[in-house]
Amino acid sequence: MSPNQMKKRLELWAALAIIGLLAACQQAASPEAGDTLRQQGSTKLQIYVVNYPLQYFAQRIGGDQVRVEFPVPSGLDPALFSPNPEIVSAYQGADLILLNGADYAEWVSRATLPGSKMINTSQPFQDEYILEKAVTHSHGPEGDHSHGQIAFTTWLDFTLALKQARQVFQALATARPEGEPIWRQRFEDLERDLLELDATLNRAVTDTRPILGSHPVYQYLARRYQINLRSVHFEPGEYPDERSWRELKQLLEQHPAKWMLWEDQPLEKTVATLEQLGVRSLVFNPCGNTPKQGDFLDVMHSNVNNLGKVFGQNLSH
Amino acid sequence: MIETFYLAWRYLAFHKLKTCILVTSVGLIVYLPIGLRVLVDQSSRQLTARAQATPLVIGAKGSQLELVLNTLYFRSDYPEVQPYQESIRVSDSRLAIPLYVRFHSQGHPIVGTTLEYFDFRALKVRSGRLPAVIGECVLGARVAAALQAQVGDHVISSPENLFDLAGVYPLKMRISGILEFSDSPDDDAIFVDLKTTWIIEGLGHGHQDLTAPEAASGILAREEDRIVANASVVQYSEITQDNMDSFHFHGDLLDYPITAVIAVPHDQKSAAILQGRYLSSEGGAQIVRPSRVMEELLDTVLTVQNFVMAGAIVVGMATLATVTLVFLLSLRLRRREMETLFKIGGGRLNVAAVMASEMVAVLVLGTVLAGGLTLLTSQLGSLVIRTLVRM
Repeated sequence: MSPNQMKKRLELWAALAIIGLLAACQQAASPEAGDTLRQQGSTKLQIYVVNYPLQYFAQRIGGDQVRVEFPVPSGLDPALFSPNPEIVSAYQGADLILLNGADYAEWVSRATLPGSKMINTSQPFQDEYILEKAVTHSHGPEGDHSHGQIAFTTWLDFTLALKQARQVFQALATARPEGEPIWRQRFEDLERDLLELDATLNRAVTDTRPILGSHPVYQYLARRYQINLRSVHFEPGEYPDERSWRELKQLLEQHPAKWMLWEDQPLEKTVATLEQLGVRSLVFNPCGNTPKQGDFLDVMHSNVNNLGKVFGQNLSH
Repeated sequence: MIETFYLAWRYLAFHKLKTCILVTSVGLIVYLPIGLRVLVDQSSRQLTARAQATPLVIGAKGSQLELVLNTLYFRSDYPEVQPYQESIRVSDSRLAIPLYVRFHSQGHPIVGTTLEYFDFRALKVRSGRLPAVIGECVLGARVAAALQAQVGDHVISSPENLFDLAGVYPLKMRISGILEFSDSPDDDAIFVDLKTTWIIEGLGHGHQDLTAPEAASGILAREEDRIVANASVVQYSEITQDNMDSFHFHGDLLDYPITAVIAVPHDQKSAAILQGRYLSSEGGAQIVRPSRVMEELLDTVLTVQNFVMAGAIVVGMATLATVTLVFLLSLRLRRREMETLFKIGGGRLNVAAVMASEMVAVLVLGTVLAGGLTLLTSQLGSLVIRTLVRM
């Protein structure tokens, strides 16, 4: 091979190498547009919640584009749950943390959570919170201060539940704007269901006959649907002591209720004793934690149906 | 030509001491202004890097420098406090990170803040995890090394004033994690949740349940829904899983104190709007751009540098004159040597070339020495500065 021929061959190889390098760089710099979107779409929005109603709303609206975590063990009241630091650490890693507000889940005030990811779903109606009677104590120079209690079962007023669901939808849409159209559609479906429940319950409560609540968790229900309800402090799984029965009898003198709402099925012995006092029992489950059967709507329909019996109405769904 | 350089080199090599002194003098004179410039530039970059990475800081009206030094470098006395509400007010359309830098533990600043601070400063955890609950802390890398602390150990906050026994209680905090070395003031700090600093201050506390029988001895009076306790009621100086639920805060958290808010606007427009809000505000808060504050500080430093440079130049000129004088004097002393060179056939030009080569060689060697010192300064200067600053 002559020097000229060798030179030309080397030049040709060099040119091919440069072209190949440029082509490789071009490929690396501009991946297929679909790849980026698919990558975004395949990463689910990770959401942590503090109670089951929020889990239901988030899952119902977000569908398979979200992964909703609710780490409270079944059987425990989420309002009183106190997670260990490892669970709090898991909350820290969420894309969104949905809070109920109204002082629900007090552990949040003692935890270190990213404020930018926390959504207080009841913030739009903070002025509608119901303040319960508080215990005041004083010590030191600060003087009196009360550990006041805000009623927190806001979702039992289905119009407030709808506002909370709307906050959930807006939080999802802000975090992932590309999912907004389909999430809006799902939210509107949920909105119809909640408004239907609200309308049904409004129709069911026809008068102000006195009703009892086994536990002070029905405040928003009573206010919204104008139910003449007063509460005691009975637990479904415990037989009340003598003092509790005495207080109930005193209450019945002023508030002659014929029905008591329970968070869960009470003991047969408790039911029997109540019936001796002329009070019948029915379950109105606040559904703060995951129900054993069905979902949030199923439980609420069952609740509404049960409450209808108080007013002599058949509200089977 | 090569013979000329050979003769010059042999002369310099024979008179080692004189050559070393001359080369060192030239080297130092050349190095002084350049090395000083390099050192000052590195100092400026170090000081301004953190300031440039922090867009805006909001604090109570007062000394801007004190606010910036406390917020960015956790130094100086803590500035006037402002209410936590200021942080909420800023956060509507931008990232707002509250800071409360007031307390210390064994000389290390305790920084009360939120989780967003760690993302903002790109701080990573080397071992353990970030604080999850009140009463936990995460240590900067240098603090952990200084205290020989590990995850699971404890640190105790220092009282502010040994004579104020009724003031800030020491709080024992569990170390939940240790941060990776970041080569920043964050390495020298102890980070806690903002609420933990409020507990250190005594704005929040935990105590026995006053409705429980065990607390009976601490009750002064009990009415229907009101309990008055005496000073014997036990307040907790350490937050544990067992007593955490008892911790609570009095009053409105929005009124609680913070020393600063770091604002990270989404874009230039929101930055301008935010700054405009505070410029027109008659309230007690101010907004500062840390980079500008540090530039003003460094302008003062650079002014001093100019005087030093001027002095160095004057000294350099004097030294150069002295070196020239030494050469001229040595020429007189070497008259017999030059006569010998003439007698063995060296022309005037060749002899002059040998003398000139000696001078050039000294200057070149001096310059190389200066270059080496400058390189060393650029590599190690930042480390020296950081050590001096920490001292």
